Amino acid sequence: MTRISAGNLKKGEFIIYQNETWQLQKAEFYSPGKGSALMRAKIKNVISGKNIDYTFKSSEYVETIEVESVEMQYLYKDNENAYYMDERTYNQYTVPLAVIGEAINFFKEGEKMFVYVQNEKPLCISPPMSVRLRVTETEDGVKGDTVSGAKKTAILETGASILVPLFVKKGDIITLNPEIGEYVGREKEI
Amino acid sequence: MDIQTKIQNLPKYKITLEIKAAINHYFQNKGYLQIDLPVLSPALIPESYLEIFETEFRYLDMKKKLYLTPSPELFLKRLIGQGIGNCYYLGKTFRNSEPNSSLHLPEFTMLEFYKVGVGYKDLATEILELLRYIARCISGSAYSFIYQGEKISLARWEELTLAEAFARYSGISGSDLFVEDKFLQKAKTKGYNTSGFSYEDIFSQIIAQEIEPNLGKNGYPTMVYDFPPKMASLAKLSPDKKIAERMEFYIDGKEIGGCCTEVDNWREYKSRSARHMKKRKEMGSINHKVDNEFVEAIKDGFPPCTGAGIGVDRLAMIFANAKSIGELKLIEVS
Repeated sequence: MTRISAGNLKKGEFIIYQNETWQLQKAEFYSPGKGSALMRAKIKNVISGKNIDYTFKSSEYVETIEVESVEMQYLYKDNENAYYMDERTYNQYTVPLAVIGEAINFFKEGEKMFVYVQNEKPLCISPPMSVRLRVTETEDGVKGDTVSGAKKTAILETGASILVPLFVKKGDIITLNPEIGEYVGREKEI
Repeated sequence: MDIQTKIQNLPKYKITLEIKAAINHYFQNKGYLQIDLPVLSPALIPESYLEIFETEFRYLDMKKKLYLTPSPELFLKRLIGQGIGNCYYLGKTFRNSEPNSSLHLPEFTMLEFYKVGVGYKDLATEILELLRYIARCISGSAYSFIYQGEKISLARWEELTLAEAFARYSGISGSDLFVEDKFLQKAKTKGYNTSGFSYEDIFSQIIAQEIEPNLGKNGYPTMVYDFPPKMASLAKLSPDKKIAERMEFYIDGKEIGGCCTEVDNWREYKSRSARHMKKRKEMGSINHKVDNEFVEAIKDGFPPCTGAGIGVDRLAMIFANAKSIGELKLIEVS
């Protein structure tokens, strides 16, 4: 463990707060000019997946922990956990679904991504910036104003649904950001 | 250091220009004099929690320290002491050790204005009037606008004393808030790390953590007023000395500005100034030259007045419906 000033905290780092391990989702400096300068952080608990906002004094010490990020293959999930495999060692790791959040709905079995591991224990995952998924169901030929960015629902091959622009058709492959569940673009047909 | 050109921000940049024009119109119509000021000064009014930029003027063998002004206060108050009357400054100010964020840049546009003969609550009413004037210029409606999907009405303030805000949102009562030991004890019980930190530090942390996110969220801008004397800065204390006559206002959880009845007694000013300088020394802040002549300037009689400061970038961000002040800039330096 290393002690650093909260003013130096960065997104992605792991900290100990109230005896639990959390990952920083966001860290922003804030100086109201009346008393200590502050670090406003959004932190995610690596056990429960709970997100909270916490404001540190920028000069107070925070314990950070060293975590290794290992590329793994997502195998499958059950009602509680997702299972990953380190392809170098064939070791399997279990990550609670609550920690992964909604992003799990956009992962195909076999998808590769980074898993954070501390002392051989998986903490949480780093969702890929984008994933490619096929549209299995969406209403075709919906008329609408394409300029204003009208959207419709599409069901993807993982069973998850997402809002897409009106021109997206059944069978198209789209890219999306799994962390926020947002459409990014449509793959060009070859 | 990176310089980025962001031509895509042109529409929101133009809204910022309209807001500045509206501010100028408002004050000119109200008879305030616009004051153009230097941004480099050889001395400053000490402020405990604002770090400054230091530079140097050089000519042949001569070297002279100069500081970028963190606020136009020292110049405007000198002029008020000389009887200039109601006045305002709209321009750049500079604060060091505060990195770029969604709500702040180390150099930013400040509106500071002074009205003679009124107290902080009167000026709070005028701030609301100014917001309405800007809203009418930008959106055509003086009484409401939309920010991030939420309607904000400018028909009135949501008014809370600071003690009420602490009681409502953090469960700390007024009697605990104003007593240093009790306050620190309460904060410790709530889980805050208080060891080695001052009342001011913990006050600042609890406001940011528990109070601010709730202010300006009920469909109106919120004004919180009547601060503990320890947080007076240069605000005048009430006749019973129990509160500092200071208010701050918030929209969507963001502090936009505030005002206070100004200290008009030079002895009081001098002792507060010394306290700020001592604090700066303790914290290892830049040891700048103090504008002592300012004390002389106000000795001859400083009229009762109230001063207000508004962060124009944050205000523009709200009226332009932007999530970050970076969205208003054509050139961004980081």
